[in-house]
Amino acid sequence: MAAQRRWRVITLVAVLALVAAVIGWPLVKLVDVLVSDPAGASAAVTSPGFGQAVAHTLETAVATTLLAVPAGALLALLTARPALPGRRALRAAILLPLLVPPFVLGYSWTQAYGTAGFSDQLLGVTMPGLLGPVGIVVVGAVTLAPLSYFIVGAGLAARAEPDLERAARVFGASALTTLRTVTVPLLRAPLGAASALVFVSALEAFALPAALGTPAGYDTMTTRIYGDLALASDPALFTQAIALALALVVLAAFVMWPADRMFKGSRRPTRAGSEGPVASHRPTAGARVSAALLWCYVAVVVALPLAALLLAALTPAVGVSPSPANWTLRNFDAALSGHTFGALRHSLMLAIVAAILVVAMGFLVVLAERRRRGAGLGTAVTLAYALPGSALAVGVLLAYGRHIGGTLAIILLAYVAKLWPLGHRPLAAVVDRLDRDHERAARASGATPLGAWITVVLPRLAPALCGAALLVFLTVVHELTMSSLLYGPSSQTLAVVVLNAQQLGDVGATAALSALMTALVLLLATPLFAWFGLRRARARSDVTVRIAQRELADVV
Amino acid sequence: MARFVGRRRVGLRLAIGVAVAALLATGCASGGNATTAANATDASAPITITLYTSISQPTIDSVISAFDTLHPDIKVSVFRAPTGSLNARIATDQRTGGVRADVLWVSDPLTMHGYDSQGLLKKYTAPSAKALPAQYRTPSFAGAGLLYLVLIYRKGLTPAPTSWNDLTNPAFHGAVAVPDPGFAGSAMGALGYFGEQKGFGLDFYKKLKANGGVQVKSPEDVITGVAQGKYKLGMTIADSAIAAAKKGSPVEVAWPMPGAIAIYSPIGVTAKSKHVSAAETFEDFVLSKPGQQAIAKTGRQPSLPGVPGIDKPAGATIVSPDWPAFFGDKASLLAGYQKIFGS
Repeated sequence: MAAQRRWRVITLVAVLALVAAVIGWPLVKLVDVLVSDPAGASAAVTSPGFGQAVAHTLETAVATTLLAVPAGALLALLTARPALPGRRALRAAILLPLLVPPFVLGYSWTQAYGTAGFSDQLLGVTMPGLLGPVGIVVVGAVTLAPLSYFIVGAGLAARAEPDLERAARVFGASALTTLRTVTVPLLRAPLGAASALVFVSALEAFALPAALGTPAGYDTMTTRIYGDLALASDPALFTQAIALALALVVLAAFVMWPADRMFKGSRRPTRAGSEGPVASHRPTAGARVSAALLWCYVAVVVALPLAALLLAALTPAVGVSPSPANWTLRNFDAALSGHTFGALRHSLMLAIVAAILVVAMGFLVVLAERRRRGAGLGTAVTLAYALPGSALAVGVLLAYGRHIGGTLAIILLAYVAKLWPLGHRPLAAVVDRLDRDHERAARASGATPLGAWITVVLPRLAPALCGAALLVFLTVVHELTMSSLLYGPSSQTLAVVVLNAQQLGDVGATAALSALMTALVLLLATPLFAWFGLRRARARSDVTVRIAQRELADVV
Repeated sequence: MARFVGRRRVGLRLAIGVAVAALLATGCASGGNATTAANATDASAPITITLYTSISQPTIDSVISAFDTLHPDIKVSVFRAPTGSLNARIATDQRTGGVRADVLWVSDPLTMHGYDSQGLLKKYTAPSAKALPAQYRTPSFAGAGLLYLVLIYRKGLTPAPTSWNDLTNPAFHGAVAVPDPGFAGSAMGALGYFGEQKGFGLDFYKKLKANGGVQVKSPEDVITGVAQGKYKLGMTIADSAIAAAKKGSPVEVAWPMPGAIAIYSPIGVTAKSKHVSAAETFEDFVLSKPGQQAIAKTGRQPSLPGVPGIDKPAGATIVSPDWPAFFGDKASLLAGYQKIFGS
């Protein structure tokens, strides 16, 4: 018991020390910028259009969350059904939007559905409102839905409650009532985690508001920060940018703190449901219909925008007909010239190390949380995620630039500070759904606490661990702002190359670079998934999840 | 079965553990290497100066390789980033012991005026700067290259645009694109010219907006939009537009009346440079004929008269914003502009 208490204190102290070092100190340094220039700070809040930018940021973030989280949950529930034809391919396809770098998303969507885009040329149809808040929300939701899909999916893979759902059905509840009163409440923790990550991601999103909002004169806090920094050779505007960035953190904290308290602790049944009988794998008519619908979704939100990107990479210049006769590899030459390879090596290394560190740190928070009531820790580690990359990089430079400026270590530090919740939230959601009886049984049978974790808990966490690592990996490989501000002569990252191609106005080279990055990540991620036995873990959970899926299919 | 699964898990755990250890080791090792390498260069090379810049990489590479052959005793270490990141880096440097660059070379005069007004630049006129037109230099910095803002239009557009006023021509209603001054320094320069110029003023932007003009993010987005057929014409940067047309995009470039707007890219030595003479040597080289030729080689326009740059039609005229005056008015002009183009 004494040993257990000591461990409790050690994990908690470790987490608090890490929070203070990687998030707290840079934030303090940013606040210090405001304190030393109070006039500039107050100018940011009183400047015309500040309220409007806050309103725009909030409304797009809330709408994106309301759209992306249920969509992702629905996708997770549907694709968890073993009877679904082509299930494995669908699961992979749904995750594909994560692979498209955010900086080409705006381009690929306008190219697919905007004026003079694919759908316009083929069918004379364009997406109404693509340029403006509607476009920001819809494209944002589509790109963030996989995040929700993955967290809910990992939650389902850890454990589902078929007995309760079956009982509800036996007692006459309709499929919809069962979903509303049993399935969704049991998914409370994963849904809460997904909402938190999606909301904050939408809050600090910059690439989409910039590409789709600017033509409609629709500015958000992040586009204002960018604008202020672009003119920040004027010190007052630099202070304004920092003030706006900190306002985003405050906004995030205001929403996250109560939400985290509300979602803390699921309505876990006290007893575990037994695993249900194996249902038929034979595709039913309903399953075929939902598979067809899912493939349509994949075609609309994944295939077409990706095809637009690939064609842009293969076409010699914008506006040239993208027919095979005109295809060229010249853009790929341009993309690979210069500093690309060294930068690629740095980016991959950073991505792998950050993925491992962030997942380990997320795990540490889960351990600390498990032993302590309250939601403060979860909110605290999410704060830096709400900071736009440019501001976080400034904070990290102010805090540690003197000692490790210009090295890969400072870039890694910024990544770890920013992406910590990507490691923590999915794990916390899944741990919440685990049945502690199993762990208790292991302990009662003589396993050490660590042994019980490793043999009973860890295998069920595997999908969440791998998924979280993959998320961090992708985010780092696609990250532009932080590393472009932090790099030194010996630590160039891909961002530096991408930004240069973009600045040269070379859509073809940027698209080629993105296509290469996508292919590379696919190449790396596929064996990663296979190797960590994701499929095994999911297959095991299929038995227990199956019934719930059938209920849902009846509804849909 | 149970034993089999158990053994598998042990294997998996071991594999993960080894992988983690290996990656962390490589990560740390290379981080360490990076630092040592940087220190080693500092120690062994005679002098290393640091250049902070937002000029495009090919141009920087070309200039530095030409400089290396003439001045092997001076190494140039480059930090290149878009204007916003560069500003943030410099602001951060100032708060942690001073700007760590010896030379600043940025994309627009407004940014440089901002640094100069904070006392970051040393008063220095390079010998080769004296050959530059007076509007491209100040006592602290000088224009190393030029961007020309011109009109780009869809191939075959009739009537072919010839003047900036064509952006407000009802014949092109709803099909005109301009870059956002809040995003792009070049667009800010255009605002500086039109805003201060008799016959244009902010009214010009009001008319543009009333004509269904669309504000996009950057000059590059204007080129992409016109090439795709989203817009019929727009304002953009000449060299990028010419490059797009050369690659086969269905676009043409017009040098509008009263003139293409010139935005010079200023270079200057920092006040706190520890290698002043090396930094001055570099600036002087960039402004000299060989430096200017190295810039021209990458398809950019040099600022030194007589060094051939991008293709200009005969009789094309060039106009320039009054930069010092614009530097004083930029906040009110930008606010006025944003009132017109905000939602």
